[in-house]
Amino acid sequence: MKRRNWNRRDFIRQSGASILAAMAAGAPVSGLLTGCGRAKAGAQSTADTVILLWMAGGMAHTETFDPKRFTPFEVGMEGDRVLSTFKPVPTVLDDVYFSEGLESIGSVMDKGTLIRSYVAADMGHILHSRHQYHWHTCYEPPQTVAAPHIGSWIAKELGPKNPVIPAFINIGQRFTVGEAEELKAFHTAGFLGNEYGPFLLPDPSQGLESVRPPVGMDAKRFEQRNKLYNDLISGSPIGEFSSDYQKESLRRSMEQAYMLLNSPEARAFDLSLEPKESFDIYNTGRFGLGCLLAKRLTEQGARFISVSTEYEPFFGFDTHENGHTRMIDMKKMVDGPIAQLVKDLDQSGHLDRTLIVLASEFSRDMMVEGRPEAKVQEQVNQPDILTEMRHYGMHRHFTDGCSMLMFGGGIKRGSVYGKTADERPCKTIENPIRIEGVHQTIYHALGIPPETEYEIEGRPFYTTPDGKGQAVLELLG
Amino acid sequence: MRLPAKAVFKIMWLLIPVNFLRKYHCPLNIRRMVLLIFICATALPVFSQGEETAKSSFWLWTFLGRLHPMVVHFPIGLLVVALIMEMIGRKKKNYHDAIKTVVVIGTISSVLAVVMGLMLAQAEDYGGIIKDIHQWTGIATMVLAGITTYAYMRMSRQLQVFLLTITVVGVTVAGHYGASLTHGEDYLTSVLPSSDAAGSNFVLATTDGPLSETQVQELNLQVRTILAHSCNNCHGVAKTKGDLRLDSREYIEKGGESGPVIVPGDPGKSELMRRVLLPSNHKEYMPAKGKGLTKEEIAILDYWIRKGAPWPEGELKSLFRVAELAPRMPEIPAANGDIIQPLDRFVDAYFKEHTIEWQKPVDDHIYVRRVYLDVIGLLPTPEAVYDFVNDPAPDKRNRLAAQLLERNSDYAQHWLTFWNDALRNDYTGTGYITGGRSDITKWLYNSILDNKPYNRFVSELINPVDESKGFIRGIKWRGTINSSQSTEMQAAQNVSQVFLGLNLKCASCHDSFISDWTLEDAYAFANIFSDSTLEINRCDKPTGQMADRRMLYYRQLGNIDSVAPTGDRLKQLAQYLVQDNNGRLYRTLVNRIWAQLMGRGIVEPVDVMDNAPWSQDLLDWLASDFTANGYDIKRLIYTILTSKTYQLPSTSVEQAEHLVAQDFVFRGMMRRRLTAEQFADAVSRSIEPIYGDSMVVHKLFPGTVKGTLPFARAALVKNDPFLTALGRPNRENVSTGRMSQANLLQALELTNGEQFNEAVKRGAAGWIKKYPETEKLVTEIYKSALGRAPVEKEIAIAKKEMGERPDQAAVEDFIWAVTLHPEFQLIF
Repeated sequence: MKRRNWNRRDFIRQSGASILAAMAAGAPVSGLLTGCGRAKAGAQSTADTVILLWMAGGMAHTETFDPKRFTPFEVGMEGDRVLSTFKPVPTVLDDVYFSEGLESIGSVMDKGTLIRSYVAADMGHILHSRHQYHWHTCYEPPQTVAAPHIGSWIAKELGPKNPVIPAFINIGQRFTVGEAEELKAFHTAGFLGNEYGPFLLPDPSQGLESVRPPVGMDAKRFEQRNKLYNDLISGSPIGEFSSDYQKESLRRSMEQAYMLLNSPEARAFDLSLEPKESFDIYNTGRFGLGCLLAKRLTEQGARFISVSTEYEPFFGFDTHENGHTRMIDMKKMVDGPIAQLVKDLDQSGHLDRTLIVLASEFSRDMMVEGRPEAKVQEQVNQPDILTEMRHYGMHRHFTDGCSMLMFGGGIKRGSVYGKTADERPCKTIENPIRIEGVHQTIYHALGIPPETEYEIEGRPFYTTPDGKGQAVLELLG
Repeated sequence: MRLPAKAVFKIMWLLIPVNFLRKYHCPLNIRRMVLLIFICATALPVFSQGEETAKSSFWLWTFLGRLHPMVVHFPIGLLVVALIMEMIGRKKKNYHDAIKTVVVIGTISSVLAVVMGLMLAQAEDYGGIIKDIHQWTGIATMVLAGITTYAYMRMSRQLQVFLLTITVVGVTVAGHYGASLTHGEDYLTSVLPSSDAAGSNFVLATTDGPLSETQVQELNLQVRTILAHSCNNCHGVAKTKGDLRLDSREYIEKGGESGPVIVPGDPGKSELMRRVLLPSNHKEYMPAKGKGLTKEEIAILDYWIRKGAPWPEGELKSLFRVAELAPRMPEIPAANGDIIQPLDRFVDAYFKEHTIEWQKPVDDHIYVRRVYLDVIGLLPTPEAVYDFVNDPAPDKRNRLAAQLLERNSDYAQHWLTFWNDALRNDYTGTGYITGGRSDITKWLYNSILDNKPYNRFVSELINPVDESKGFIRGIKWRGTINSSQSTEMQAAQNVSQVFLGLNLKCASCHDSFISDWTLEDAYAFANIFSDSTLEINRCDKPTGQMADRRMLYYRQLGNIDSVAPTGDRLKQLAQYLVQDNNGRLYRTLVNRIWAQLMGRGIVEPVDVMDNAPWSQDLLDWLASDFTANGYDIKRLIYTILTSKTYQLPSTSVEQAEHLVAQDFVFRGMMRRRLTAEQFADAVSRSIEPIYGDSMVVHKLFPGTVKGTLPFARAALVKNDPFLTALGRPNRENVSTGRMSQANLLQALELTNGEQFNEAVKRGAAGWIKKYPETEKLVTEIYKSALGRAPVEKEIAIAKKEMGERPDQAAVEDFIWAVTLHPEFQLIF
């Protein structure tokens, strides 16, 4: 399924109208029905690598990067009075405050842009995995064909940056948790084909296991095994199908795997090689080590890495109760490593060409489920009067105002985009940005043209629905 | 960079006329002048490189630039004339001075032409490789002309003629590219008889008299094809620029915001013709985007309008290829020697037509492996191979095929994968968590086990029993979903795709661009599955129009009682769909089975049954034979497996894309890679089971499965990273084919994935215990995995790496290498 530069007419002339129907199913082919030529990818890119820091489970904006009036807990207080359960703390930017516990990230905000106006989709019902599907693919499930993850689009369009490092690496999410099937449904290259699918590393400290010879096999034996394999193939009397694409692709892939597992770059996966002080800063758990792995892989030439705090129903950012106390832990988990990742990449010069994006599927609020105009069925037992500490926190799912961060890869430094209301509902009131805009901004930074599409089952399938999304150029420096 | 370039221009404009008027009896002046201009003109493009952004140049430069196309004819003419004079008047002394004069004037005019050309390039938007070639060959020619002029002042006659010849060659080349820029690249070649553009598709035979109904139909079809491909992008339902649509008679005759676009009978007065005939850089030229119309296309439009812009009576012929719906029993071609089976006779006819020779059938080793993998998805045991190869009976191949087809459980456990993919049935997946989906595993397994006649099989899926309702019920997600993905629409899409090889997905959002199916058709079909009447949504926006209830191909297949309760409607739908008259249903099925066994369908892609088959007769016969003999899939498989056609040596293509090419020529079975399930089972059978017995999802299968499994077969376990990497789809959508290519993620999974490596380890321990010596061990593993003994060379390789008595590690590595061997991985 190569993307060809044929225009419509050449296509018609060469193949006749009947072949149009021929394209109606099977392997996707490039968009032949559009007349416009495409710019070469990478022509004006400002980034080569993307790191997505995924705050899985719905991270409340008023408890993190967009704090509102702080109201300490009192037994018998009205929930309606509570906008934030943490004090605001200053950041390195004038007049920009974060929620207490995010001081480290606050100290690197001069290197990136804070977005306070992300608006998640209305999907009639809150289902984390469905909103996550939408965030990662830009399409609302279900779809008539399997939609590719943004990492797969990038892997497909740009390929690996370093040939021995898989182009799409997904760190920190296990698929044995609740809603796992729904998670699998978007951790896929979809119709683009397996080749562009994610390289899954649920546990970053086990990353090395995935990219080195099987356990118990030393380098010498690994090499010998590979030699035996190649010798047996050349020694086989059945040689007549030597130019098959299947056989070729098999041998090429085996060769690539061998190269990767044998390459010095694979050492990037070995977190034990990191100096102790640095390792300790990152070591807040699997997420923190994921950030460390992302840093090391970026330095060796990764293309797209997603590091997740991991989605598991009612864990992590999915705070249906004890929101305040849980947030204290979550902040400890993310604050240090994220700030360090930004600093380290900045120091090594990689931040210039690495776009770091922090996001979550939606935000949370104590009172509103969904959004003010489009409330959805409530799923949380949240009393109007708080009688216990476990009631104190943002427990409902709020889609109308969410925070994101972006650093590097051409993103403005020390800037704030968008705004939410200071009183409930704390919804977006300035510069709303939706998922199409987010994706296209990322593609823009990477030099992937906005109208990129493939023809699948006769239908053009764009990176963002109908090719209509537009990059938010104000975010770029 | 601006200043030097401008200065150069000025100096030249001063120098040229002055020196020109002085005549050239003063060689010194001429020499100096020519030299100076040369240096300047050669340097000019280098200087002006940086000025590309300064597009809005002074009007005079633009004006002078536009003189370039006129002025270029001077150097061309003069230099060529000079060469001709050299040829005809070589010996004549008096010619020489004249030639010199012509060469000098030619050279000066070449300088002029170059300067003006550069101005033109600056002022107007030329670009691309042709322009570059033209520019630099032009400049090179100018330099050559200069050297030639110098030669005519100073050098020997031979050199003069030599240089002049080269200069003329240069002028010719530069001139050619200049013409390509002006008239288009294919200006010359398009009239050559060998050229594609010159008419391979151009069949406009004009006639003076009135057109027959068929001629009107054909002409009108050609016109609509041109409009569809060049105009409807902007003048259609999606975009309607200038308030003009050109996608149907009504709109074409109505015209746009500036009035009618055609005047029947008078192309000269038709706005449409005026627009397409304008120079392509004109503001009003159409099509504004993409390439302009070819001369042939313009001629067709012109002719159509001249004939009164006629539309045929009755139904319009489709722009797309539409396959016949009715079944057809073609006449079976004559037998030819030992080619007796009807299937082979059709292929024989096809081969004759394509002058293809029948190859010798494959040997017993290859046949037995193929048949085992294709019928039951398992490798033959070494004993089975031995017995078969040494069986002297002449009909042993037919008997083997029959025996394997009788192994009902093995057969069901293999074909389950194919049907799970197609019916998007899986044991885990989205939707199950909220009860928004139900599996059909039990029903499906039993149906395959019983070889349920295909008409009943389809009926029970469309008008379901409780155990088979999962297919049309679709997958329901919580919350609002796109209207093209309502469960009723999913049913319509999946039923049409799986059973009819028909894509209704486009039409479930808007009228299809790739077929004649409309939004209303899709909704009318989906509405059959719906208890309440559906409202039509266009691109997810309600239209206020309620959907009809109508079957696809209702004219041929029958009208659904639109007010009957859903259950009755589904019963009726099932009956209508599976009637013998619905040739499409059965062609789709036989084509799918053919593709499974032969690596490529007679029609490809297998979901686009409107595409042309490589043999219509063969397809039609297989379908008719299938309906005439009890809709028996096993019988169909038997027919194929025992044909000489199936037994031909396998072939392949170099690129995966070529497999579905429409100009495909059939020569024999296409090699395939084992599916994820076949590979896992092949390892399980020949080396060591990959899955433990507890991995089988017994609770979803009939209790009888337990005693029939040779080991935990991969088709019956939940999807996992190992199977996913090897290509088992997540069955959220219908999936009717597996990719045959390998990729890095697969290779990684196979190189250090736990699932596979653990099986290899366990296997090695068992094998080494049984066969501690390398030669025997290697021989037995080869027999088990590849169905043959190793040749000497292979034993030598193994011995070299493993020694005489291998250790555990060496055996693991050997097993690993054998199972990744293409000979193990492919069905050939």
